Amino acid sequence: MTDLINAAPKVLNVDQLPTREGKEDRIEQSGYLPGLLSLSVFNVPFTEKSSPGSTPALSDSSLQSDDEEFESVDALEIYDLISSISDPEHPLTLGQLAVVNLEDIQLDDSGNPNEIAEVIIKITPTITHCSLATLIGLGIRVRLERCLPPRYRIIIKVKEKTHQSENQVNKQLNDKERVSAACENDQLLKVISQMLSSCK
Amino acid sequence: MSLSLVHTFTGHTDKCWATSIHSKLPLLATVSGDRTCRVYNLETKRLIVVLDDDSHSKTLSSVEWKPTGEFPSLAIGSFDSTISIWGNEEAVLEDEDNWTLMAIIEGHENEIKGVSWSHDGVYLASCSRDKSIWIWEADDNNEEFECVFVVQEHSQDVKHVTWHQHENVLASSSYDDTVKLFKQDDYDEDDWVNVADLTGHEGTVWSSDFEKKGERVTRLSSSSDDGTIRIWKILHAADDQPSIDSKLPSTIKTDTNQDMWELETILPIIHHGPIYSVAWGENGYIASVGSDGRIVVYKELNSKEWQIIISQPHSHGVYEINNIKWHGDRLITAGDDGLVKLWELAL
Repeated sequence: MTDLINAAPKVLNVDQLPTREGKEDRIEQSGYLPGLLSLSVFNVPFTEKSSPGSTPALSDSSLQSDDEEFESVDALEIYDLISSISDPEHPLTLGQLAVVNLEDIQLDDSGNPNEIAEVIIKITPTITHCSLATLIGLGIRVRLERCLPPRYRIIIKVKEKTHQSENQVNKQLNDKERVSAACENDQLLKVISQMLSSCK
Repeated sequence: MSLSLVHTFTGHTDKCWATSIHSKLPLLATVSGDRTCRVYNLETKRLIVVLDDDSHSKTLSSVEWKPTGEFPSLAIGSFDSTISIWGNEEAVLEDEDNWTLMAIIEGHENEIKGVSWSHDGVYLASCSRDKSIWIWEADDNNEEFECVFVVQEHSQDVKHVTWHQHENVLASSSYDDTVKLFKQDDYDEDDWVNVADLTGHEGTVWSSDFEKKGERVTRLSSSSDDGTIRIWKILHAADDQPSIDSKLPSTIKTDTNQDMWELETILPIIHHGPIYSVAWGENGYIASVGSDGRIVVYKELNSKEWQIIISQPHSHGVYEINNIKWHGDRLITAGDDGLVKLWELAL
């Protein structure tokens, strides 16, 4: 990549980014999070590994990929999953570039593992004509489809007025057949696995 | 009214995208992201054969049995942009060795999304992300497929094609939010005329299905990403009587070559999210499925009023449902869980 599409993006300091990882105190401070947390504690199902009677602690976040034991997540956990994805153009993460932001993750989830839940993520491209917006969106979708249980419907949109072809990008990112076909494209998969290689 | 589960066909290891039931024989074909097509005996529920010889390198997205011929055969469309034709020329259907690959059809540039045979088995239509629909003429033995026409009227991916059950009329659904109808030209059988554009959906149209009543085209249902199912009614079919300007090329006499269609009604809205498949049964009921995992059945009260008689959530657990087909008063659904379920309407 010789010509950068956005040569000088705004960059956030990693320490300023919200995260669940090893920062329990942050969570306690937040006003609305305790409510969410108690909900998800309530709904964490007993898996074969959890011994009877023990309440699975949220802090031992088992959100590594391929781990399908948990059933409920909150916005911060989703943020942790996707903010560490690398930008396809810069050696920075989507969190650092503020492409993904905690306040732009919306979750509609009853917490019941037998019900369908919905995650809506709005991404903010670094520049309004960013041609990589669909690739970034696809990377987020692949990451979440690999990590979240199948009951989550993932809706990815570019944030209003942040992209010239907002509707086109949104339509493409949420078209089931196009996404499936993209995931069978080896070249595209290679780029995406590079983007995801920085994920914890 | 409710649905009762009669049987679950298992075996696919990835999303099941489509199914097809043979019009005369008790044969069910299912296709999947696992790149195989499974053929079952619908009566015994036994697996007959898995069509899988590496002929396709990507997801199998669509399948349809040919309605005619001395022996059963089917077409499979794949994201690898090719179509394969399989058949069983022997009398013993249950012997898996009798099922052979008869042809591979190439031509599309991108993923194939849909395949459909005309009622007389003469034509096979295929549609693709390359925005085109190809109409292939097949011989009786499925040895040769000649492309007789390429439709390029859609401005985006063509998601689905389906023929009318008696007339050579094709309906196509697209990412461009429209349904288009095509009819074989009366004077040049290799020419296919775009006789109507049905506009109004506010999202990708995923599928459509003709009303099964009568010999002529009457109504069409369409299902969309916008969460609605629309019923379209033909008011006036394109003039099929010879007229004064009949010698003009079809592109000029556009007025006489247009069907008049109107939106009759929108079915009661209950789905949340995209509706991937709609099916109009011979019993007059319409059934639909989509991302929300719900099976919905609608009954017509009068021409503009439909009632939901069944709305069953979680029909494939928390998974999306990609396809629904009628088989008499039974329904067949295919889901992202790789399962194919046979349901009965319990009155």
